[in-house]
Amino acid sequence: MSTFQQPPTTRIRTERGQNRESLVAALPWIGPVLILIFGVVLFPAAYMIYNSTRRISQAGTDVEGVGFANFSRVLADPNLPRILLNTLVWVVVVVTVTVILSLALANFLNKPFPGRTLVRMAVVVPWAASVVMTTTVFYYGLDRDYGIMNTFLVDIGLLDSPYGFTKNVATALGAAIVVGIFVSIPFTTYTLLAGLQAVPGDILEAAKMDGAGKVRTYFLVVLPQLRSALAVAVLINVINVFNNLPILRIMTGSLPGYSADTLMTYIFKVLQFDRRLDLASALSVINFAIVIVIVAAYVKIVKPMRED
Amino acid sequence: MKKRLRMSMVAMAAVGTLAVSSCGFGGGGSAEAEGEGTTLNMLVPSYSDGTKALWEGVIEDFEAANEGVTVNLQIESWENLESVLQTKIQAGEAPDIYNGGAFSAFASEGLLYSAEDIASEDTLADFQESFVENESLEGTQYGLPLLASARALFYNQDLFDAAGVEAPPTTWEELNDAAAKITATGTPGYGMPLGSEEAQGESLIWFAGNGGGFGDATEITVDTPENLEAAQFMKKMITDGVTQPDPGATQRTPMINVFMQGQIGMVYALPQTVGQIEEANPDLNYGIANVPTNTGEPATLGVADRLLAFKNDETKQEAITSFMDFFFAEDQYVSWVETEGFLPSTKSGAEAMASNETLKPFLEMLPDAEFYPTSNPAWNATDGAFKSLMGLLETQEPASVLEQIQAKADAAA
Repeated sequence: MSTFQQPPTTRIRTERGQNRESLVAALPWIGPVLILIFGVVLFPAAYMIYNSTRRISQAGTDVEGVGFANFSRVLADPNLPRILLNTLVWVVVVVTVTVILSLALANFLNKPFPGRTLVRMAVVVPWAASVVMTTTVFYYGLDRDYGIMNTFLVDIGLLDSPYGFTKNVATALGAAIVVGIFVSIPFTTYTLLAGLQAVPGDILEAAKMDGAGKVRTYFLVVLPQLRSALAVAVLINVINVFNNLPILRIMTGSLPGYSADTLMTYIFKVLQFDRRLDLASALSVINFAIVIVIVAAYVKIVKPMRED
Repeated sequence: MKKRLRMSMVAMAAVGTLAVSSCGFGGGGSAEAEGEGTTLNMLVPSYSDGTKALWEGVIEDFEAANEGVTVNLQIESWENLESVLQTKIQAGEAPDIYNGGAFSAFASEGLLYSAEDIASEDTLADFQESFVENESLEGTQYGLPLLASARALFYNQDLFDAAGVEAPPTTWEELNDAAAKITATGTPGYGMPLGSEEAQGESLIWFAGNGGGFGDATEITVDTPENLEAAQFMKKMITDGVTQPDPGATQRTPMINVFMQGQIGMVYALPQTVGQIEEANPDLNYGIANVPTNTGEPATLGVADRLLAFKNDETKQEAITSFMDFFFAEDQYVSWVETEGFLPSTKSGAEAMASNETLKPFLEMLPDAEFYPTSNPAWNATDGAFKSLMGLLETQEPASVLEQIQAKADAAA
């Protein structure tokens, strides 16, 4: 058996007192951030929770406090199970496929080849473009009457006649998932690529000398080293994808009923069509709670901050 | 000591932010009150690409004529307009002048100025009586009718000729036959947009064609025998395949674009569509006819939009009044309505525009128009229910769809 070398880690330990003093010194510098956190995170979140316990009229005036009545009403909503199932499918499929594709792509971009810088830059493009813009391009491309993707599928003989991809539940969700993966890949790939570059060369060399094949080296040596990069990539993707509104709203927005909705798009419909600020707030609180539970469970189980 | 300092700094940061955000929530009215000038905030929807420039022109002339009054213009799409307004009201920042549809929810909560508070007698007397009725709630007029619009059947003459349809249909049966003949030639015969953009519009055209409607100021009636019969006929056209594919998810504007390209036989469209065809595809060989109904009796959907004024600050009432009087005076108003391609709501405007050939068929249909029950407090919710649920007609039973919409309307009443 070989002995693996511990990756070089630097730990800076500071004394408690020193720590406290440096925090005071740091306050002027972190003050603006604190203001931002209070202003754009904590205050709106508290306001949202407050709204979820009120009855707010159609016109937008705060009528009275109703306790948890809004919550019991949205939890009894017959549309909710389907919406939660859609949300689960949407998050799991997008994140899983994104991570698998990004692993392959990161591995490829880590190998030296002519034009590598160019390819690396090309990968950034979907990230640099606005999500709404990217999705709109797909939406129009898939349009039955004038979409070039539809025309292409008909021209190569895959379809007999143009199909309304964004006008049927399954295909609209499928198209949204494809766009979701497309826009999530750049960030994930770069996170994993950074992780790959941090794998020390001597470990790979040692594995090679011990006679491990390419596949074994990858799964037993490289992948464990990617642990923290993977953990961060998955966590951030889960939150991002869960809370995504623009992609789904554009791709599935014209569908009637609620069978293609995720929690996010449903909240939006309750707000826009039913004019229920109070119910939408209650749903948002539930949404917020689900994200917090997912993140907490993930941090507990995967321990992404663990350094070994 | 240090700990306390740290806490107090954090607290200060918190208070600072609260102060900043409460400004955003409370609306900075104090600064305006100190100076001489009055600022009017105006929230309007976009009717066309030219709406912004049109309003900017009006505001420029108004500001030149009224020193010390400035008008801040905010334009939103129809899709977002009402949620923007709702957020503003909730934040205590209601616009001083608002151009919109439904108003009863605001009026019944006392958020609006009545019409006589914000316009001179001469201006009020100039509105056509049929419109004024729609602007009132419990005997008080709140809205100043801005414009009207009616729907008519637009048909593609070339597709009619190719399919052997001789004359535009006047009844549902004739419409169905014509649509079937055109569909047989390979182009969808009838365009039925039941997507979230304007499902309520298409629905009311059909319901009105059978003597139905959405109800009145006191009661929303969606689930009625007349409406059900109309919905069943719509469903029949969908199942027979004489409409465009996926009617339940089709939005009106893109569908009318497809009609303009000559790819749909018949659609219900608006006065502005005439100008849009002129611009986008002047070669289109089309005609305009009355809306076909079950029995052939004339009926159509009429839409009236209005200007409303929210009560924010007593000092603004005078400025709002001078703006309204300025805008509804003949020279400003007629050019505004004519450029947007709508029908006028004032007597003087109607006289000035009587010679307009394009608008003639629509002006003729206006007396038979059925309007949305915008003065019913549950109308907003009913409207939303149509937008999100009517498209289900494609896959569900008409009775069940109407029942679901009625349930949402009842829940809001």
